[in-house]
Amino acid sequence: MNLEQVFGYFEYEFMQRALISALVVGLCAPAVGVFLVQKRLALIGDGLGHIALTGVAIGFLTGAAPLWTTLAVTVAASVVMELLRSHSKTSGDVALAMMFYGGIAGGVYLTGIASDKGVANLQQYLFGSLLTAGWSEVWTIVVGGAVVAALMLVLRPWLTAICADEQYARVSGLPVGALNLLLLVTTAVTVSVSMRAVGLLLVSALLVIPVVTVQQFTRSFKATMFAAMGAGLLIAGTGVLASAAKDVPPGSTIVLIGVAVFVATALLAAVVGRLRRTRRGHLPPEGEPLEVELPAKA
Amino acid sequence: MPVLNVHGATVSYGGRAVVRGADLAVAPGEAVALMGANGSGKSTLIKAVAGLVPLAGGTIELFGTPRKRFRDWKRVGYVPQRTGAASGVPSTAAEVVSQGRLAHRLIGLPARRADREAVARSLAEVGLADHAHCSVDTLSGGQQQRVLIARALATDPDLLIMDEPTVGVDAETQAALAEVVAARIDAGCAVLLVTHELGPLTDRLDRAVVLADGRVVHDGAPPRPVGEHADPGHEHVHPHPSPHPLPKLDGAAPRISFGNAGGGTDADTWDGR
Ligand SMILES: Nc1ncnc2c1ncn2[C@@H]1O[C@H](COP(=O)(O)OP(=O)(O)OP(=O)(O)O)[C@@H](O)[C@H]1O
Ligand SMILES: [Mg+2]
Repeated sequence: MNLEQVFGYFEYEFMQRALISALVVGLCAPAVGVFLVQKRLALIGDGLGHIALTGVAIGFLTGAAPLWTTLAVTVAASVVMELLRSHSKTSGDVALAMMFYGGIAGGVYLTGIASDKGVANLQQYLFGSLLTAGWSEVWTIVVGGAVVAALMLVLRPWLTAICADEQYARVSGLPVGALNLLLLVTTAVTVSVSMRAVGLLLVSALLVIPVVTVQQFTRSFKATMFAAMGAGLLIAGTGVLASAAKDVPPGSTIVLIGVAVFVATALLAAVVGRLRRTRRGHLPPEGEPLEVELPAKA
Repeated sequence: MPVLNVHGATVSYGGRAVVRGADLAVAPGEAVALMGANGSGKSTLIKAVAGLVPLAGGTIELFGTPRKRFRDWKRVGYVPQRTGAASGVPSTAAEVVSQGRLAHRLIGLPARRADREAVARSLAEVGLADHAHCSVDTLSGGQQQRVLIARALATDPDLLIMDEPTVGVDAETQAALAEVVAARIDAGCAVLLVTHELGPLTDRLDRAVVLADGRVVHDGAPPRPVGEHADPGHEHVHPHPSPHPLPKLDGAAPRISFGNAGGGTDADTWDGR
């Protein structure tokens, strides 16, 4: 199999659609994910992915488009999650656990009721089915991705502040509750919109993997954010090409490539770190004054 | 009109009152120390002032406005106790300090020149100008603490609230920070400083308020250091030939004892973070 053959696939419209949606998701998901990683909520995308199952099942039941029911359910879940977190003693990981269990159970239960639609149908959403998406779905992904990325880029300083040190952000008078909610709702939108591309169970990989991969090499938040978006784009693009070549589902290929890149760079970072041990990123401590008075020489 | 007026403040955690009817006033340009043993409620009182914990009783006014209706947070600079500046994703010192300017910025608009200048200036004030573009998690604990002080200074506050800001900061830098804070006081900024030690920062204090077991037990002249450091001719010059045969830590000012009035707890506690 050669490159020409791979590029030959893109004569087909369904391959073009798959590539466009994957690239958009790859670019935009890390823009949200970088804040989630900073807030130490890296698994929230997964939690919302589980909740989204219930949304998809409601779509099957009611005959409405699963995209919109998923959006409604995940946004509602993120509002409840934020209320729980801010107004009760429920900790983040407990709320997350509830989302995992409740989401899966709701999805399976409701698809059980709508059993004539078949579980195979649910699988499309679990693992992604880029190749069957139509142009209208691609445009939904493009528009949703553009809105999400624009919001995250414009609000970067404010979102960083609430994610890094929420108490300080409060004392700065920032609308912490509203910003938290915005971040969660944006995550919900990202998950719902990108489920066609990588699948619900894998979407949080694209939120997180590019960020944790590049942050091994970056020093600033801004650089981490942009580099992660670039890395996400590359990983998603390569994933679609590779899956076309091997004729396997794109979602899992994208995620596998992401994991491989992470492991490879982690090893690389360890080696580079060892080589660089002597040349630190900042000034060595010899610039600092001596802390103690040395005894005067007799 | 005082910049901060706390009247009969009571704060409880899960039914246990840890601050009980505390009164505290800070006038414009005044420097007040808040002292007391571990667990006496200093940080809690400060968090109540900053709006981080709810009041169970009493009132707090900031710049004449009840705290609940106070919105002008850009007039308040806050240094939290021992949080560290690092977080999940690498950030540079300059990025952390620029959080102090957000109160001045309209949400969604880019930073203006004044914002960038304030960030650079306050990093220089704490002696970290060269480290502006270093990731904060590669900085030492004391340097991270200085980043947090710079963040509060960058706000250009009229009231600077600092909770043990110089823990882990070396004597030389403490003296330099004291000068920075003194300059702010001269420019009319009021300071509320939680501290255990009388160091260079406390030379400029107007008043000290001592808490014991959540109650104010002293409000008046700050305790004076005794011994060598009380000598008005004593100067902090480094390195100076020591009269002592052994090395002596500077800034190791004598500790004062607060005498736990209410037989209060002496358990050392970390804040809940
Ligand atoms: N989040 C919390 N939940 C429950 N109790 C708390 C919490 N934070 C503090 N306390 C309690 O409140 C009391 C006062 O704590 P606070 O942090 O105000 O003390 P402090 O005077 O600042 O002490 P230190 O000198 O150690 O900083 C302590 O007895 C502590 O046990
Ligand atoms: Mg304290």
